[in-house]
Amino acid sequence: MYQFNVNRIGPEIKLGEIDISFTNASLFMVISSVAILIIFNLGSKKNSLIPNKIQLLAELSYSFVSKMISDTAGSKAKPYFAFIFSLFMFVLFCNMFGMIPYSFTVTSHIIVTFVLAAFIFVGVTIIGFIKHGFGYLKLFVPSGVPMILLPLIVVIEIISYLSRPISLSVRLFANMMAGHTMMKVFGGFVVSLGIIGGWLPLSFSVALTGLEILVAFLQAYVFAILTCIYLNDALNLHH
Amino acid sequence: MPKDSLKTRLEIAKKKYLNKNSEKNAQSSSKLGLAFKMSTELVAAVLVGTIIGFILDNWFGTKPWLILIFFFVGVAAGIYNVVKSAKNMQK
Repeated sequence: MYQFNVNRIGPEIKLGEIDISFTNASLFMVISSVAILIIFNLGSKKNSLIPNKIQLLAELSYSFVSKMISDTAGSKAKPYFAFIFSLFMFVLFCNMFGMIPYSFTVTSHIIVTFVLAAFIFVGVTIIGFIKHGFGYLKLFVPSGVPMILLPLIVVIEIISYLSRPISLSVRLFANMMAGHTMMKVFGGFVVSLGIIGGWLPLSFSVALTGLEILVAFLQAYVFAILTCIYLNDALNLHH
Repeated sequence: MPKDSLKTRLEIAKKKYLNKNSEKNAQSSSKLGLAFKMSTELVAAVLVGTIIGFILDNWFGTKPWLILIFFFVGVAAGIYNVVKSAKNMQK
């Protein structure tokens, strides 16, 4: 699976024991961040009443994310708009750049998605404790549970809370990696079946490419909307 | 006043647009997103439960027992997660 290899670009840089040299993964992260910066700078440069294409793109994505936040987390989540917007855009652009042939999909590596998810998890927990103090621990004690069952339920609730970053990161990583592997497998069938039998897997490959573009968008959307849901739990505590 | 009537008409159009948009959104992409959410939720909770059991086993030296208990608690947490998000979907 050559497409998932991480290769060093340029010289080896070491910080103590840790290898921090520039790799193709970091290159594609930089490319997607720069692309986002360029698009949104161009889109917001001149605010004409009748938007041109790039301004339309910027405005549409702004209103899309803003509506998503207000639908799922309410008006209290408005201050966190910038974070969720950049998160959504980063994941979306990384997924989409991965769809270009010979490129590298950053989000098909668990460590990248896990760092994003762990950052969200820690941030949301801190926000919850700041907003509610130790009352945030009430999240683990649902109301209306008999006293005998309470220790078990609390353990289950804690496990379910701790499983959030795992499920968030594994979902994005697994979807991206499985999709790219599937395309590779069908591409391999085309080569091995040759000119006679290769047409069927080729048509599958074309259809899968369309599906993968859908999945690339959808996973970025799911990642952002789950962040909103977790934020909603931390901001509006109800049980 | 023509200016006022334009304003009210704009307001009405905006409200209509917002309503239509939110309905469409809730029907398609958000539902699909929730379906994706359910599948990994179950697996993640089992994984976390097993890891916690493994760590506690190493701490207390009760080798096979806590990992067994926490595996099943993890399964319970996974099913609980799925039921919870299914209930949220029906609201």
